[in-house]
Amino acid sequence: MTTPFNPRVDRQRRLARFLRVGAVITFVVAVAALVAPGRAGTSFGVAMVGVLVAVPLIRLAWLARRWLRKGDRRFALVALLLALIISAGAFLGR
Amino acid sequence: MPSEAVLIGLSFVAAGMGALGGLGGAVLLVPVLVLLGLEPALAAPLGLLSAASGSLAAAVPQLEAGLVHHRLGVTMETTASLGVLGGALLSDSLSAATLSRILAVVALSSALAAGLRKGMRNLPQSTFDGELGGEWPGTLSGAYQAPGGVVPYAARRVPSGLLAMVGAGLVSGLSGVSGGFIKTPIMSEIMHVPVKVSAATSTFTTGFTAATGLVIFASQGRIDVAAGAAVVVGGLLGGTVGVLAQRRLSAPRARVAISVLLATVAVVLFVRA
Repeated sequence: MTTPFNPRVDRQRRLARFLRVGAVITFVVAVAALVAPGRAGTSFGVAMVGVLVAVPLIRLAWLARRWLRKGDRRFALVALLLALIISAGAFLGR
Repeated sequence: MPSEAVLIGLSFVAAGMGALGGLGGAVLLVPVLVLLGLEPALAAPLGLLSAASGSLAAAVPQLEAGLVHHRLGVTMETTASLGVLGGALLSDSLSAATLSRILAVVALSSALAAGLRKGMRNLPQSTFDGELGGEWPGTLSGAYQAPGGVVPYAARRVPSGLLAMVGAGLVSGLSGVSGGFIKTPIMSEIMHVPVKVSAATSTFTTGFTAATGLVIFASQGRIDVAAGAAVVVGGLLGGTVGVLAQRRLSAPRARVAISVLLATVAVVLFVRA
C-alpha cells in the first residue's frame, strides 16, 4: 500500500491562526455588545452574528480553494454546493 | 428571558460540559432555557449561537490534533444543511408545546447516545508507524494518531450516512441544538469512522449547521442579540475550558454525568409540555 499522507502541520498553520483570530474577534465583539449602550450594543451584536456565520464560510472557501489547487475538483464542488445551500437560507427565511 | 449574567453562566457550564462529553453545549443549554420559561422558538437561535461559539472554541485544538476530516465533514454537511433549512423554516410554525416535546426527545436521545457510546472499533496498525495522521486527498479515508499507534480508517455506507444527516439537520433547525450527538454516532456507527475523528469532524460541521440556521433566524428577526452576546461569551469561555479539561479528566465519566442530566431535563420537559 502506498502512503497517501500529507504533512498537515505547515498547511494548516494559517487556518489555525485564522480560527484563533476569528475566536478572539467574536469574543471581543460579543463583550462589546454586552457593555455598549443602546444602538451601539445592538450593532455589535449584529456584527457578532455576522462573524459567527462568516468564519465557517471563509474556512469553507479556504478549503475549496486548496482542494481546487490540488486538483481535487470533486470535493471543491461539494464545498461550493454547501456554500450555496447555506446562502439559500437568507432567501428562504424571508 | 433570563438575565445576561445567568445566560453567561449557563452557557459557560453547558459549553464546558458539552466539550468534555463531546456532545456540544447547545443540547444542554436549550432544554434548560426552555425549562426556565423561554419560548422554544426564541431558545433555538440562542442554542445555535452557543453551538457556533463552541465549535469555534474547539476548532484549533482539534485541527492541531489532526482529528478533523474536512472532506468528510463538508460532504456530510451538504444534506445536514438541507435538513437545517427545513427545520428552521418549520420551527416558526410549530407550537411551543410541540417544540418542547421535540426538545425532550432530543434530550433523551442525547442522554442515550452519551451513555451508550462504545470503545474503539478501528485499531492501530504497525505498518502505518511513523506516518502523520490526517485525511487522504480525494477520498473519505484517512488516519489518526491514537495512543497505541496510527489508526487508518475509511468511511463506509456514505449514502446511508448522507440520508441520516438530513434527520440530524432537521433536529438542529427545529430545536437549535447543534446535532453533534446525532452526527457523531451516524459517522461512527453507520459509517465506521473512529469516534474521535467523528466527534472532531462533527464539531467542525457544527459551524456550518449553526451558520445555516442563524442566517434564517436572522432574516426572520428572531435573534435577541443582547442575550445572544451573553451566550457567545459564555460559550467561548466554557468551550475553551472544556477542551483544556478534556485532556485531563475522564471523558466517559463526564458523558455519564451529562447523560443523567439530560435524561432529567427530558422528563421535566415532557411533563411540562
